Amino acid sequence: MIPQPAVATDRVLSVRDLAVEIRRGERLVRPVSGVSLDLHRGETLGIVGETGSGKSMTGLAIMGMLPSGGRVTQGSIDFGGTELVGLDPATYRGIRGNDIAMVFQDSLTALNPTRRIGDQVAEPARLHLGLSRRAARRRAEEVLALVGIPRPGERMDDHPHQLSGGMRQRVMIAMALVCEPKVVIADEPTTALDVTIQAEILDLLDDLRSRLGMAMILVTHDMGVIARHADRVGVMYAGRLAETGPTADLFERTRHRYTQALLASIPSLTHDRGEELYSIGGAPPDLSAAQPGCRFAPRCAAATDECRTEQPPVVAEGAHAYSCWHPASGPVRHTAVRIAERPRPAAVTETGPRLSVVDLHREYPAGHGSWFGPRRTVKAVSGVSFEVAAGETFGLVGESGCGKSSLGRMLVALDRPTAGEVVFEGRSVTTMRPRELGPHRARLQMMFQDSSAALDPRMRIGAVLREPLAIQGIGTRAERTATARDLLADVGLPATVLERFPHELSGGQRQRVALARALALDPTVLVADEPVSALDVSIRSQVLNLMRRIQRERGLSSVVISHDLAVVRYLADRVGVMYLGKLVETGTAEEVYAAPAHPYTAGLLAAVPEASPTGQAPRAERVRGELPSPLDPPSGCRFRTRCPLATEVCAEVEPALEDVTATHQVACHFPLQNKSGGA
Amino acid sequence: MAWYVAKRLVVSVLVLLGISAVVFFLLHLVSDSPGRVVLGQRASPEAVADFNHEHGFDRPVVVQYFSYLGQLLQGDLGRSYKLNQDVGTLLQQNAGRSAMLSLAGLVLALLVAVPLGILQAVKRNSVVDRAATGLAYVLYATPAFLLGLVLIAVFSQQLDLFPAEASQSHSPWVVFTDPRSMALPVITIAVTSIAIFSQYQRSSALDQLGQDYIRVARAKGLPERLVLTRHLLRNACLPLITLVGTMIPLLLAGNLIVESLFNYSGLGLLFLNSLHREDYPVLLAYTLIGGVLTVVGNFIADIAVAMADRRIELAS
Repeated sequence: MIPQPAVATDRVLSVRDLAVEIRRGERLVRPVSGVSLDLHRGETLGIVGETGSGKSMTGLAIMGMLPSGGRVTQGSIDFGGTELVGLDPATYRGIRGNDIAMVFQDSLTALNPTRRIGDQVAEPARLHLGLSRRAARRRAEEVLALVGIPRPGERMDDHPHQLSGGMRQRVMIAMALVCEPKVVIADEPTTALDVTIQAEILDLLDDLRSRLGMAMILVTHDMGVIARHADRVGVMYAGRLAETGPTADLFERTRHRYTQALLASIPSLTHDRGEELYSIGGAPPDLSAAQPGCRFAPRCAAATDECRTEQPPVVAEGAHAYSCWHPASGPVRHTAVRIAERPRPAAVTETGPRLSVVDLHREYPAGHGSWFGPRRTVKAVSGVSFEVAAGETFGLVGESGCGKSSLGRMLVALDRPTAGEVVFEGRSVTTMRPRELGPHRARLQMMFQDSSAALDPRMRIGAVLREPLAIQGIGTRAERTATARDLLADVGLPATVLERFPHELSGGQRQRVALARALALDPTVLVADEPVSALDVSIRSQVLNLMRRIQRERGLSSVVISHDLAVVRYLADRVGVMYLGKLVETGTAEEVYAAPAHPYTAGLLAAVPEASPTGQAPRAERVRGELPSPLDPPSGCRFRTRCPLATEVCAEVEPALEDVTATHQVACHFPLQNKSGGA
Repeated sequence: MAWYVAKRLVVSVLVLLGISAVVFFLLHLVSDSPGRVVLGQRASPEAVADFNHEHGFDRPVVVQYFSYLGQLLQGDLGRSYKLNQDVGTLLQQNAGRSAMLSLAGLVLALLVAVPLGILQAVKRNSVVDRAATGLAYVLYATPAFLLGLVLIAVFSQQLDLFPAEASQSHSPWVVFTDPRSMALPVITIAVTSIAIFSQYQRSSALDQLGQDYIRVARAKGLPERLVLTRHLLRNACLPLITLVGTMIPLLLAGNLIVESLFNYSGLGLLFLNSLHREDYPVLLAYTLIGGVLTVVGNFIADIAVAMADRRIELAS
């Protein structure tokens, strides 16, 4: 849906030339320098940028909630005639949570874990509106109903841990709205949520904004969220506003070189897989160092001496404004680089699959309901089978809790299945003794999401890379160091990194090291669990391109696990969609994305916001509601509780995976594509 | 919950049985002839043997243990031959006074340490914080007897604010109504705990201050005072509950020194005197009480944490 242009009647918030600095010990960081923006009644202003761009700090400055050591050094924030910069704390508190409210990223600790949610929602109403305890509770219940909490009266006395992530985020929104603020600042409101829940929460925010006539600042790193939900956009880079404009205008007539590069680095659901992702080299600048000129200049392909020495002025073209010496004209249409055709994966029948998973189950004990009650189990993986051929990349997608990570751990024998087996190069690794497993393990490697946790903080990178070789008794110390140097070169890092500690590297560099470590033993299978989820867009595309190249050059078989459908599409030849421990659809990436056969796949795809304001028409009905408990999954088809097509038969008979085409299987009684076999 | 309690009780009984067995056999190793202890070095071997036979001390040690256990089940803690009194009666006379001393010390410690720890966390790395931390380390490292002596020297002998000796009354009520005499012993007990608790509370509060819900509370426009009392306090106290539970038996041991220093007749003083007199039945009973307190203290702490924090399920 294209957002309706805002009725920009009156301005509620006006920020002029805002600059923020934060003193951290000896270091002085300037996260925001010279930002100006306007917010009108009833509109959503998106602020988009990567980590450290100053987008969140701008929001916190408006709230008057800069972290300790932080202060506004210049500029003004005008809120309906009140100057907020330098406002006395007591008056500011009267505005905060009352006229300007903030919705934070959902995290487990965003709500006070030991207080009832009703009290937490009622708190601002008692504080600002002076309501009695009773009246505030009534108001809280109203607002909880407004944000779509079912049976709010019963939920009032719940504690936060009793709610799902999506429900907690609704409670958080209710807390912000309880005093009917004029401005809501939503800082990454859906970043921690699954894509189907994200879509619901963003729609809710849109709906509430228009119904209550609020103005909203939507702070996010996700261009797709911006495209779908913002009326106007501000793109921030390194503390400055690079470009602002109406959403459609900014996407279609992109002027700033950074915006253009950022948009091109995002893998999309319709990206030509033969084309390499555009990627921005280098990393964002250090904000504690003064830098003349355009801050993007060091990473910009179009940069000249002028860019490096002089700060570009703001150029306005109607509502569209940008600061760039060499403006682009529109988005990048095609990247120049095409990926060399990789040899077609050897057909499974010729050599046998390199990795095959046979009816894999994994259940985790979850204690007893009562002393004599039956032992309860979390059914994390319930009967998954697939094969990965030599040189093939298999992508596993699904939302959190679908069992994809549990499955990944079993693939590399870090965990043993309850039933079923993993067959690696013709031998079952499931039944092997630990001693036997050793040499096989070397050829089955894993790469994790959080590279800062996956690398030992006290080991230098050289030691990290030598360790697997030492464990397998490969080479002398000198030879291992040489191998480590080669590995670093292979993942695009200089040899000086050998002497560094993990914390001295950036997130992207650490993830490259994690990849190098996984490659150290020259594996034939690489399992990558959310390999780029923790990375910023511009860094993500670098790592994705690197992974594509490594896969191709080494003939690796890989399994890529991700909640991000676009990432899986870019990396994988074949895709498996998981829901609640089951594989509901498999097929080639082209088939599954272009013609999804399972309503869940279709719903997932429809929920992904594309980074383009056009072509957002939902292709299928979105998936609604919450994931059922894996302690007690629904009978029959596990998706039936959220499926728009479900009938009685879905509750009684569990659908098996059946062919749609020779390469495309779906487990559904009412598939969206005709099955070739069967009835 | 009920099942959890039942299960914990069963485990507790097993733990106490273990403690009683270990202590019993250890004491038997130290002194296998109570007759010699009771009758003295000059008594004839025959008299000692007679005494031991009469009281069953010549039976195999395992048999002795089980007969002791049997008496325990009937509430009979044995007999102190030195004081010629029932051990149970002796404990009854002293337990109330000891409990009052410990409890007063604990309450005082919490009243000071909880706000102090939070203050330190809020003003972290300030002069106040550094001074409090430094003082806490000094006090923690100071032995209780030295601290007690210093307090006596300053507050009793120099300033004459409090008496150097605790009230001698055996009635807890009289002691309760005479707070001046209790001031120094209670303070001595509390100071060490304050040093530990406040540092613990500081780090826990620092942890909680970094949590998102604190930022959310500030974003509601709450004044900082309410952010701390309504949101931080309860969450920051959760780890302390467990600590206090495990500290309860230590408080009993702390009494040992404080009671003898201030001549306050309680379990600690009784234990100390029994140690000098080699009065093993009393020592055995005292050690058992330590075991019971350890088990009960942890148990209460677990229940209290689960009640304060609904995320914790007391599962088997």
